[in-house]
Amino acid sequence: MKTTRDPKEELVEHLPAMRAFAMSLTRNNAAADDLVQDAIVKAWSNFDKFKPGTNLRAWLFTILRNTYYSLYRKRKREVEDPDGIMAGKLSEKPAHDGHLAMADFRTAFAQLTDEQREVLILVGAEGFSYEDAAEMCGCAIGTIKSRTNRARTRLAELMHLDDDDDLEITDAATLAVVIGKPAA
Amino acid sequence: MMAKNSKTTKLERQIDENLRRVYSDLSDEPLPDRFVKLLDELRKQENSKSDTQSGEES
Repeated sequence: MKTTRDPKEELVEHLPAMRAFAMSLTRNNAAADDLVQDAIVKAWSNFDKFKPGTNLRAWLFTILRNTYYSLYRKRKREVEDPDGIMAGKLSEKPAHDGHLAMADFRTAFAQLTDEQREVLILVGAEGFSYEDAAEMCGCAIGTIKSRTNRARTRLAELMHLDDDDDLEITDAATLAVVIGKPAA
Repeated sequence: MMAKNSKTTKLERQIDENLRRVYSDLSDEPLPDRFVKLLDELRKQENSKSDTQSGEES
Protein backbone atom coordinates (compact mmCIF):
# COMPACT_ATOMS: atom_id res chain seq x y z
CA MET A 1 0.00 0.00 0.00
CA LYS A 2 1.61 3.17 -1.18
CA THR A 3 0.96 6.37 0.64
CA THR A 4 0.06 9.22 -1.66
CA ARG A 5 2.94 11.59 -1.38
CA ASP A 6 3.18 14.94 -3.05
CA PRO A 7 4.66 14.06 -6.46
CA LYS A 8 6.53 17.36 -6.40
CA GLU A 9 8.38 16.17 -3.30
CA GLU A 10 8.94 12.74 -4.77
CA LEU A 11 10.23 14.03 -8.11
CA VAL A 12 13.81 14.47 -6.89
CA GLU A 13 14.07 10.76 -6.08
CA HIS A 14 13.42 9.89 -9.70
CA LEU A 15 15.94 12.31 -11.15
CA PRO A 16 18.89 9.88 -11.21
CA ALA A 17 16.78 7.36 -13.12
CA MET A 18 15.48 10.05 -15.45
CA ARG A 19 19.05 11.07 -16.19
CA ALA A 20 20.08 7.49 -16.85
CA PHE A 21 17.14 7.06 -19.20
CA ALA A 22 17.93 10.37 -20.90
CA MET A 23 21.56 9.37 -21.37
CA SER A 24 20.50 6.06 -22.85
CA LEU A 25 18.34 7.92 -25.35
CA THR A 26 20.64 10.81 -26.25
CA ARG A 27 23.99 9.05 -25.69
CA ASN A 28 25.31 12.48 -24.84
CA ASN A 29 25.66 13.90 -21.33
CA ALA A 30 24.96 17.54 -22.15
CA ALA A 31 21.91 16.73 -24.25
CA ALA A 32 20.69 14.33 -21.57
CA ASP A 33 20.79 17.03 -18.90
CA ASP A 34 18.96 19.48 -21.15
CA LEU A 35 16.37 16.82 -21.84
CA VAL A 36 15.90 16.10 -18.13
CA GLN A 37 15.57 19.82 -17.44
CA ASP A 38 12.87 20.19 -20.11
CA ALA A 39 11.06 17.13 -18.76
CA ILE A 40 11.12 18.48 -15.19
CA VAL A 41 9.64 21.81 -16.29
CA LYS A 42 6.98 20.02 -18.34
CA ALA A 43 6.16 17.64 -15.49
CA TRP A 44 5.94 20.52 -13.05
CA SER A 45 3.33 22.36 -15.08
CA ASN A 46 1.34 19.16 -15.58
CA PHE A 47 1.31 17.75 -12.06
CA ASP A 48 -2.41 18.51 -11.82
CA LYS A 49 -2.88 15.82 -14.49
CA PHE A 50 -0.94 13.20 -12.53
CA LYS A 51 -3.24 10.67 -10.89
CA PRO A 52 -2.12 10.20 -7.27
CA GLY A 53 -1.34 6.59 -6.44
CA THR A 54 -0.28 5.70 -9.99
CA ASN A 55 3.31 5.09 -11.00
CA LEU A 56 5.09 8.43 -10.86
CA ARG A 57 8.26 7.10 -12.45
CA ALA A 58 6.32 5.76 -15.42
CA TRP A 59 4.58 9.10 -15.74
CA LEU A 60 7.88 11.02 -15.63
CA PHE A 61 9.54 8.64 -18.09
CA THR A 62 6.63 9.12 -20.47
CA ILE A 63 7.08 12.88 -20.38
CA LEU A 64 10.81 12.50 -20.87
CA ARG A 65 10.54 10.20 -23.87
CA ASN A 66 7.83 12.33 -25.48
CA THR A 67 10.06 15.37 -25.07
CA TYR A 68 12.93 13.47 -26.60
CA TYR A 69 10.97 12.37 -29.64
CA SER A 70 9.28 15.70 -30.22
CA LEU A 71 12.33 17.93 -29.72
CA TYR A 72 15.64 16.18 -29.49
CA ARG A 73 15.60 13.50 -32.09
CA LYS A 74 14.89 15.78 -35.01
CA ARG A 75 17.22 18.41 -33.62
CA LYS A 76 20.10 16.00 -33.52
CA ARG A 77 20.02 14.22 -36.88
CA GLU A 78 22.43 11.62 -35.70
CA VAL A 79 23.71 8.70 -37.68
CA GLU A 80 21.72 5.65 -36.79
CA ASP A 81 23.02 2.30 -37.79
CA PRO A 82 20.03 0.07 -38.49
CA ASP A 83 21.84 -1.86 -41.20
CA GLY A 84 24.89 -2.59 -39.14
CA ILE A 85 27.34 -0.58 -41.25
CA MET A 86 29.16 0.80 -38.25
CA ALA A 87 28.74 -2.52 -36.52
CA GLY A 88 31.41 -3.90 -38.84
CA LYS A 89 33.95 -2.19 -36.63
CA LEU A 90 32.98 -4.52 -33.84
CA SER A 91 33.57 -7.69 -35.78
CA GLU A 92 37.21 -8.07 -34.84
CA LYS A 93 36.93 -10.73 -32.21
CA PRO A 94 34.34 -11.96 -29.77
CA ALA A 95 34.83 -11.73 -26.02
CA HIS A 96 36.53 -14.91 -24.89
CA ASP A 97 36.10 -14.74 -21.17
CA GLY A 98 32.65 -16.31 -21.13
CA HIS A 99 30.75 -13.17 -20.23
CA LEU A 100 29.94 -9.98 -22.04
CA ALA A 101 32.73 -7.45 -21.93
CA MET A 102 31.33 -4.17 -20.61
CA ALA A 103 32.97 -1.87 -23.15
CA ASP A 104 31.75 -4.03 -26.02
CA PHE A 105 28.32 -4.09 -24.50
CA ARG A 106 28.13 -0.29 -24.29
CA THR A 107 29.36 0.07 -27.85
CA ALA A 108 26.80 -2.42 -29.09
CA PHE A 109 24.02 -0.80 -27.07
CA ALA A 110 24.83 2.62 -28.53
CA GLN A 111 24.33 1.21 -32.02
CA LEU A 112 20.76 0.16 -31.44
CA THR A 113 17.93 2.36 -32.68
CA ASP A 114 16.25 4.81 -30.30
CA GLU A 115 13.24 2.52 -29.96
CA GLN A 116 15.42 -0.50 -29.22
CA ARG A 117 17.47 1.28 -26.57
CA GLU A 118 14.34 2.68 -25.04
CA VAL A 119 12.55 -0.64 -24.75
CA LEU A 120 15.60 -2.40 -23.33
CA ILE A 121 15.95 0.24 -20.62
CA LEU A 122 12.26 0.22 -19.78
CA VAL A 123 11.75 -3.53 -19.79
CA GLY A 124 15.24 -4.95 -19.26
CA ALA A 125 16.82 -2.45 -16.88
CA GLU A 126 13.94 -0.66 -15.15
CA GLY A 127 11.81 -3.79 -15.07
CA PHE A 128 8.58 -2.16 -16.24
CA SER A 129 5.95 -4.65 -17.36
CA TYR A 130 5.21 -4.97 -21.08
CA GLU A 131 1.85 -3.39 -20.31
CA ASP A 132 3.40 -0.36 -18.62
CA ALA A 133 6.03 0.02 -21.33
CA ALA A 134 3.34 -0.17 -24.02
CA GLU A 135 1.36 2.55 -22.33
CA MET A 136 4.45 4.71 -21.90
CA CYS A 137 5.44 4.32 -25.54
CA GLY A 138 1.90 4.66 -26.82
CA CYS A 139 1.92 1.37 -28.69
CA ALA A 140 0.52 -2.15 -28.45
CA ILE A 141 1.86 -4.70 -25.97
CA GLY A 142 2.71 -7.02 -28.88
CA THR A 143 4.81 -4.26 -30.41
CA ILE A 144 6.76 -3.85 -27.18
CA LYS A 145 7.32 -7.60 -26.92
CA SER A 146 8.59 -8.00 -30.47
CA ARG A 147 10.65 -4.82 -30.21
CA THR A 148 12.27 -6.14 -27.03
CA ASN A 149 13.06 -9.45 -28.68
CA ARG A 150 14.49 -7.78 -31.76
CA ALA A 151 16.59 -5.46 -29.62
CA ARG A 152 18.02 -8.38 -27.61
CA THR A 153 18.72 -10.32 -30.80
CA ARG A 154 20.43 -7.30 -32.34
CA LEU A 155 22.56 -6.80 -29.23
CA ALA A 156 23.51 -10.46 -29.31
CA GLU A 157 24.48 -10.15 -32.98
CA LEU A 158 26.58 -7.08 -32.32
CA MET A 159 28.23 -8.90 -29.45
CA HIS A 160 28.72 -12.02 -31.56
CA LEU A 161 26.60 -14.06 -29.24
CA ASP A 162 24.51 -16.60 -31.04
CA ASP A 163 21.49 -17.88 -29.17
CA ASP A 164 22.06 -21.28 -30.76
CA ASP A 165 25.52 -21.49 -29.29
CA ASP A 166 26.71 -21.68 -25.78
CA LEU A 167 29.42 -19.14 -25.07
CA GLU A 168 31.82 -22.00 -24.41
CA ILE A 169 31.06 -23.48 -27.82
CA THR A 170 31.72 -20.10 -29.42
CA ASP A 171 35.07 -20.10 -27.66
CA ALA A 172 35.90 -23.54 -28.96
CA ALA A 173 34.91 -22.55 -32.48
CA THR A 174 37.05 -19.43 -32.30
CA LEU A 175 39.97 -21.41 -30.95
CA ALA A 176 39.61 -23.85 -33.84
CA VAL A 177 39.79 -20.97 -36.29
CA VAL A 178 42.88 -19.59 -34.56
CA ILE A 179 44.77 -22.88 -34.70
CA GLY A 180 43.64 -23.31 -38.27
CA LYS A 181 41.39 -26.29 -37.88
CA PRO A 182 37.79 -26.33 -39.07
CA ALA A 183 35.37 -25.59 -36.26
CA ALA A 184 33.08 -28.52 -37.00
CA MET B 1 12.87 -26.40 -29.05
CA MET B 2 13.14 -26.52 -25.28
CA ALA B 3 16.91 -26.45 -25.43
CA LYS B 4 16.90 -23.46 -27.74
CA ASN B 5 14.49 -21.65 -25.45
CA SER B 6 16.63 -22.22 -22.40
CA LYS B 7 19.71 -20.92 -24.21
CA THR B 8 17.80 -17.88 -25.41
CA THR B 9 16.71 -17.29 -21.87
CA LYS B 10 20.28 -17.57 -20.66
CA LEU B 11 21.34 -15.06 -23.28
CA GLU B 12 18.46 -12.79 -22.32
CA ARG B 13 19.44 -13.03 -18.70
CA GLN B 14 23.00 -12.06 -19.54
CA ILE B 15 21.88 -9.15 -21.65
CA ASP B 16 19.52 -7.87 -18.97
CA GLU B 17 22.20 -8.28 -16.34
CA ASN B 18 24.55 -6.11 -18.37
CA LEU B 19 21.80 -3.63 -19.09
CA ARG B 20 21.10 -3.24 -15.42
CA ARG B 21 24.78 -2.78 -14.71
CA VAL B 22 25.20 -0.07 -17.34
CA TYR B 23 21.98 1.54 -16.22
CA SER B 24 22.83 1.55 -12.54
CA ASP B 25 26.27 3.00 -13.35
CA LEU B 26 24.46 5.82 -15.12
CA SER B 27 22.00 6.44 -12.33
CA ASP B 28 24.75 6.35 -9.70
CA GLU B 29 26.33 9.46 -11.16
CA PRO B 30 26.03 12.49 -8.88
CA LEU B 31 23.13 14.78 -9.70
CA PRO B 32 24.27 18.12 -11.12
CA ASP B 33 23.42 21.22 -9.07
CA ARG B 34 21.35 22.64 -11.90
CA PHE B 35 18.47 20.30 -11.07
CA VAL B 36 18.36 21.22 -7.41
CA LYS B 37 18.43 24.88 -8.42
CA LEU B 38 15.73 24.29 -11.01
CA LEU B 39 13.43 22.68 -8.45
CA ASP B 40 14.05 25.57 -6.03
CA GLU B 41 13.23 27.99 -8.82
CA LEU B 42 10.01 26.19 -9.73
CA ARG B 43 8.95 26.17 -6.09
CA LYS B 44 9.69 29.88 -5.71
CA GLN B 45 7.64 30.71 -8.80
CA GLU B 46 4.80 28.68 -7.43
CA ASN B 47 4.92 30.41 -4.06
CA SER B 48 5.04 33.88 -5.58
CA LYS B 49 2.09 32.94 -7.79
CA SER B 50 -0.02 32.04 -4.77
CA ASP B 51 1.21 35.21 -3.02
CA THR B 52 -0.03 37.47 -5.80
CA GLN B 53 -3.35 35.71 -5.72
CA SER B 54 -3.91 36.53 -2.05
CA GLY B 55 -2.83 40.15 -2.23
CA GLU B 56 -2.01 42.76 -4.90
CA GLU B 57 1.59 43.97 -4.83
CA SER B 58 2.14 47.72 -4.48
